[in-house]
Amino acid sequence: MDIFTREQTKSTPWIHFDPQNNYLQIKGESYPENSASFYAPMMEWLEEYLNNLSNSGIRVDVELVYFNSSSSKVFMNLFDRLEEAASNGIHIEINWMYHEDNDTALECGEEFQEDLEKVEFNLLPIQE
Amino acid sequence: MQKEIQNFYHQLQEKGIIFSFSGPISQSLLEGIGQTLKQKMSLEETSTNVVHKVFSIFVELMQNIINYSAQRITAQEADEELSYGVLIVGKENDHFYIISGNYIQENQKDPLQEKLAKIKSMDRDELKQFYKQQRRLQSDDASKGAGLGFIEMARKATYPIEYEIDSIENGYRFFVVKTII
Repeated sequence: MDIFTREQTKSTPWIHFDPQNNYLQIKGESYPENSASFYAPMMEWLEEYLNNLSNSGIRVDVELVYFNSSSSKVFMNLFDRLEEAASNGIHIEINWMYHEDNDTALECGEEFQEDLEKVEFNLLPIQE
Repeated sequence: MQKEIQNFYHQLQEKGIIFSFSGPISQSLLEGIGQTLKQKMSLEETSTNVVHKVFSIFVELMQNIINYSAQRITAQEADEELSYGVLIVGKENDHFYIISGNYIQENQKDPLQEKLAKIKSMDRDELKQFYKQQRRLQSDDASKGAGLGFIEMARKATYPIEYEIDSIENGYRFFVVKTII
């Protein structure tokens, strides 16, 4: 399977999903006009990746300075899909990275963490 | 004409209006203005958290106009979708405020009013639960947003969201929202 990647734009994050190393990264800001359609290819890739995954663990690093409400829904879907994979015995580590002075990013991370049980969801402050 | 424009300019400044726009709104306009707005607030040493809140509400309101304004030019007719509306960002008594206005279709009125009334009746915890519950709902295909925008705004705002929908005019109604951060 090929790497899934998207360059960063003003309103969309850098995305780098590497199936060889089982390492998924999202970094930047997310407020596209239509989040569902922007992230549809990423979610399709993820579906195929998870369906073909051997028993290895996955590391997911997410560093979002800001995201709009429709992106929030997409990320919930993404985490729920990973939660499902974790329920099937795959170890999944999600690292939610936020800048220390960005309370909003921390609160958003906490609210995702509260809604997930099977994945290991870490809140990691980034020092300035 | 010069005097008229100068007066208009000063009136806006006297009202504490930092930014106002009326006309066709697009995603690229939102991105450009959003960047400038953040820079302007940072220069004034506004706290990071306030900058985030103002920017967040600004994006939700601009995208509401883009997605739901009844006056629009579709992407087939122009390079990108243009929707008409008005948006004002200002500062009053040390609080930032954002006002948006646009026409909506008659059939958008009831669901909108119902949703906003529901949000207005909720406290912080209830808003959080409502947000989480809506976030996990499968969105209906007609909606480009996630139905979360107003809940998000209510959670970021310092005071309850104010809104008005006026009487019908040629099948349309004018919808105004004000949020204070």
